[in-house]
Amino acid sequence: MKREENALWSIFGYLLSGLLFWGGVGWGLDSWLGTSYLLLLGLLVGMGASLYLVWLRFGRE
Amino acid sequence: MRSLVRLSAEGEGFVPPSSNDFNLPPIFGENAYTTKPIFMVFFSVILISVFFIAASRKAAIVPSKLQFAGESIYAFVRNDLARDVIGHEFMRFVPYLFTLFTFILTNNIFGIVPLLQFPAMSRVSFPYVLAVFTFVIFHYVGIRKQGLGKYLKEIMFMPGVPKPVYILLTPIELATFFLVRPLTLSLRLFANMFAGHLLLLVFIMGGDHLLKGVIGLKLVSPFAFAFGIGLTFFEFMVQCLQAYIFTLLTALYIAGALADEH
Repeated sequence: MKREENALWSIFGYLLSGLLFWGGVGWGLDSWLGTSYLLLLGLLVGMGASLYLVWLRFGRE
Repeated sequence: MRSLVRLSAEGEGFVPPSSNDFNLPPIFGENAYTTKPIFMVFFSVILISVFFIAASRKAAIVPSKLQFAGESIYAFVRNDLARDVIGHEFMRFVPYLFTLFTFILTNNIFGIVPLLQFPAMSRVSFPYVLAVFTFVIFHYVGIRKQGLGKYLKEIMFMPGVPKPVYILLTPIELATFFLVRPLTLSLRLFANMFAGHLLLLVFIMGGDHLLKGVIGLKLVSPFAFAFGIGLTFFEFMVQCLQAYIFTLLTALYIAGALADEH
């Protein structure tokens, strides 16, 4: 039960930080280059990368 | 005529509770250091100390009720939180986890104790400080155990991934360990206490306001109070749960830092 709880909070943390970091990068590039689609791209990349990370950590066993 | 006056007074409206209700005025003079939450935190420390000293002073084979209560809380933190999560090195961390749990629990429950009725953790600085303690401790433990280089490498580079992918993954790992973990830890506690207190304020103050209104509103007011009382019990549950989760996550982070590999 403790393991599952650990997994739950870790997954939540990964998803959040993936969105925050790559979304933040996309937003920064957007306001630097004057474009508007990089935020969305960053959020998608962050989501994908954190899901991959979650799979690496918890799905491989 | 009188009811008309009442009605017009009613028209001035209900001032809903807001975040301003959490900025309590200083008790002595004009400074920010003598507000009610500060005194409550000091009071909680005294209360916890007195309780556990009294509970453990006359320790006997056949425990008194007080000793039993104190030992149950201690055994819960030691066995269910520290030992089950951290493993064989758990004894080193029991003092910190125990302090954390009792401190947060007491201050949370102050939120529904009559006359005190303010959860200190709804002022965000208190959870921030607690999260900083946890943050420093779990990184320190990890660095001591594995060495700085190896510890950072374990965090940053997940094994079994092609090298270019690290560009995507390493920032996420770093953000998780150094930013998201302490932030979510403190904000979860803060937001739960803040929202709970606000909810109680809405129903109790609302009931009070309805009671001062016209007769139709007076009739509704008991329902608001009843909801307020029901929510107080619900709050008690949330307060215990949040103290538990904060301690559990601290233990989980320490366990993760101690583990040789993920």
